[in-house]
Amino acid sequence: MPTWRARFFLFSLVWLLTIAGGLIGLARYEQDAGSIGKTPAQWPAPPGIALDPSRPTLLMFAHPKCPCTRASMEELNRLLARSLGMVTPHVVFFKPEKDVGDWAGGALWESAKAIPSVIVDTDTDGAKARLFGAETSGYVVVYDPHCKLLFHGGITAGRGHAGDNAGESAILSLLTTHDTTAVGESRVFGCALLNPHQPSPVQVTACTK
Amino acid sequence: MHQVIATVRGTENYITTRRDELFQEQQQNIIEHTDWLFARLMTLQWLAGVIATFLLSPRSWSGTESTVHPHVWAALLLGSAITGGPVLLAVTQPGKILTRHAIAVGQMCMSALLIHLTGGRIETHFHIFGSLAILAFYRDWKVLISATGVVYLDHLLRGMFWPQSVYGVLTAPMWRSLEHGGWVVFEVAFLLISIRKSLSEMSNVAERQAKLEALNENIERAVAERTTELTRENTERRQAEARLQHSQAQLAQAQQIAHVGSWEWDIAADLVTWSDETARLYGQSAADVGSPMEKCFRRLHPDDVARSRSVMEQAMRELKPFECEHRVLLPDGTERILHGRGEIIADENGKPVRMIGTAQDITAARKTAEALRRSDEQLRQAQKMEAVGRLAGGVAHDFNNLLTVVTGYSEFLLLRLEEKSPLRREAEEIQRAAERAAALTRQLLAFSRKQVLQPRVLDLNEVVSGMEKMLVRLIGEDIELRSVFEGDLGQVRADHGQIEQVILNLVVNARDAMPRGGKLTIQTANVFLDQKTVFRNRGLEIGDYVMLAISDTGVGMTDEVKAHLFEPFFSTKGVGKGTGLGLATCYGIVCQSEGDIRVYSEPGSGTTFKIYLPRLMERTIETAAPKPSNEMPRGTESILMVEDDAAVRKLASAVLSRCGYRIHEAGNAVEALALIERHPPFDLVITDVVMPQMSGKELHTEIMKRMPTVQVLFISGYTDDALAHHGVLDEGLSFLEKPFSPARLAQKVRTVLDTRPAAPAL
Repeated sequence: MPTWRARFFLFSLVWLLTIAGGLIGLARYEQDAGSIGKTPAQWPAPPGIALDPSRPTLLMFAHPKCPCTRASMEELNRLLARSLGMVTPHVVFFKPEKDVGDWAGGALWESAKAIPSVIVDTDTDGAKARLFGAETSGYVVVYDPHCKLLFHGGITAGRGHAGDNAGESAILSLLTTHDTTAVGESRVFGCALLNPHQPSPVQVTACTK
Repeated sequence: MHQVIATVRGTENYITTRRDELFQEQQQNIIEHTDWLFARLMTLQWLAGVIATFLLSPRSWSGTESTVHPHVWAALLLGSAITGGPVLLAVTQPGKILTRHAIAVGQMCMSALLIHLTGGRIETHFHIFGSLAILAFYRDWKVLISATGVVYLDHLLRGMFWPQSVYGVLTAPMWRSLEHGGWVVFEVAFLLISIRKSLSEMSNVAERQAKLEALNENIERAVAERTTELTRENTERRQAEARLQHSQAQLAQAQQIAHVGSWEWDIAADLVTWSDETARLYGQSAADVGSPMEKCFRRLHPDDVARSRSVMEQAMRELKPFECEHRVLLPDGTERILHGRGEIIADENGKPVRMIGTAQDITAARKTAEALRRSDEQLRQAQKMEAVGRLAGGVAHDFNNLLTVVTGYSEFLLLRLEEKSPLRREAEEIQRAAERAAALTRQLLAFSRKQVLQPRVLDLNEVVSGMEKMLVRLIGEDIELRSVFEGDLGQVRADHGQIEQVILNLVVNARDAMPRGGKLTIQTANVFLDQKTVFRNRGLEIGDYVMLAISDTGVGMTDEVKAHLFEPFFSTKGVGKGTGLGLATCYGIVCQSEGDIRVYSEPGSGTTFKIYLPRLMERTIETAAPKPSNEMPRGTESILMVEDDAAVRKLASAVLSRCGYRIHEAGNAVEALALIERHPPFDLVITDVVMPQMSGKELHTEIMKRMPTVQVLFISGYTDDALAHHGVLDEGLSFLEKPFSPARLAQKVRTVLDTRPAAPAL
């Protein structure tokens, strides 16, 4: 028969291990990056989105109901604030073809609209996302005026985790240094933009610039 | 205060120990209270995390498909796991060390969870700092160390395995964990300082409380000791008061019993206070306490005020004790005689400041002394009367024998002398002189109450009426005689002749008191005395009396005269004008008749003598006494004459022989008894009462043994109570008073012989 102290120690140990396991699991979940498709090195000229000829164009693909994308939106806001108009931002929100009514105009929409200079676009059934190989909400691509891919990946450190991160730092670096020798990339954290196993109906058109 | 405390405990050890106890107790209370605080806080923040998760991250999406967001499960499950353990310990094991360390670990883990759930928002990190501040409530630096350790470990591990989650970069050096931990340590350092200061204050407070408790204990003990002391003092005081009250009551009772009161005079303030008995003696009321001395003097008899004041003033001058007898006039008019004693209390300068004293009621003692004086006077008077009586008796016995002989032979002589005989006048003078001598002898016997009364039922109205003519002649023309008779006057039993003697004496005195004329009133009345009255120490019982009052409008009498009025040989009439036996005779007769005589007189206001005789409640009619005559009835019976005085014996024998009786003579009782033995039975024995060897009464007893039917006639000048009780002849005895005349002897003998019972027929 274990003593009270032993039982207390055992209880404490179990409790600590449970907490530690839970926190580790939660951390692992946060660091569990989303999938990334094949992002074209040249601007694919998606319908409805024009490449800015004077400065780089930034596209963020977002799922309007993904809670994790709230952090990506914040980081985008911060990024744009730091880049001082050096990029033309677009936020492309996923929207199913059969919209039952609450996909457009949610909190993330409003957040995006509230960011100055951001152009909000709609991506029905993720067609545009597929063009850019975006499979995870919060996926960002940056093309220079010459249609060249400068960066692709996420701008958060983890799922829904705001704060300094490698993707944001890379974008700021290429915008400020104009170093386009290498394509920047980072992991992206967020909900899946597309339904699993959904085929891509969209044809890719080559950049003309 | 410290000194007081030190005196209580004697050392600082108690305060130190108590300070530590209080400090630990207070700390434990704080810890338990903080445990409860965190139990609530952790529950609330867990619920808040769950709610926030449901609001912010309810679901995780894949295109149009969604599942429950892992944050929801984390908030529910991991949050409950983090919260449940510490809350359970806080509820079941409050105050334990492990409980607060578990709370510290749990709270830090909860901070990590919330940071996770809120997407690593920098604002949520303040939860860590807030939690550390709240953990500082424990005032236990070890708890902060535990919490800090958890925080640092979390950052260290994250920096090692997921640096981007904490540093925003993909790789970070180890020292960066120290940077984040440093900020936590920065806060903890201040918290530790705060804790140290707080603990110091707590220690100071505990020390102050320990001192206060020690002081309170000292005060409580002092109060308890003082209370006990006061209780004991109160008990002793109550007992003393009870004893004092008992003593005062005893003193008051003793004063009441002894009729001695006490008083005190504050001379400077002129305030007199006194005891209850003094108030009663002086007739003072309670409201008079504190009166000035002058007001107290008002209670004194006016005749005694000046003397009493003089005595007190002299005592104050000489500072000596004093005594003073004085009378007090009570409000109801009663006069009381008090004997006061006092002493003076002077200050250091010899000035009288207080006077204390007592007052003793000596009224009863004075009355007793007066009564004793009167009793002594009465005894002296009685002894004088007894001496006079003895003298009178002795004189009367021989004198009456002589007068009997003188009277008898003078009567014989008158019987033999012719009416025209020149010797008859001398013989009559001899007879009158003998009668006056006899009357004088009777008076001597009367006031000495040695005479033999022969009481009869009398109506005093008739007695006075029968004397009126004689009295009118006696008082003369200048005095008016008035008779006021009560119509239905009761009867009395008295000697007729003696009552006449009384009236005669009083009327003569009244006449002498009115030399210039006046009014003499004789009044009779029935009176009822409803209470026993005493006059001249002679009392009259309650009952019906017949009063005979004789009043004059003469010169009256002083108290001195009244005091000696009834004494024999006391007279105010001057030498040769009175014998001094008149009122003494009256007094003797009335007293011998079971009555009383009282006098009311004031100088210049006349005098009233009131005679009270017991009233007979049943009226009876008695035949009047036969009037004296010179008739000498005859007889032939045999008579034995016993008389030690030969002259009387021969005279009596001669008288009776002349009347035809057969006489045998004996000189004393022995001879008489011898004759009775030798001779045939006698019809009558005449015997003197006072004889040597054997008295007439004893002879009578012996004769009755031998001749029960023989008649006995006693002759005597006085009885000396041999035959009479208080002068009244015993029932069934025949008596002839000396001096007697031959006719009176013959009549009495015949009467006695005729009353013999008839001889039985042979």
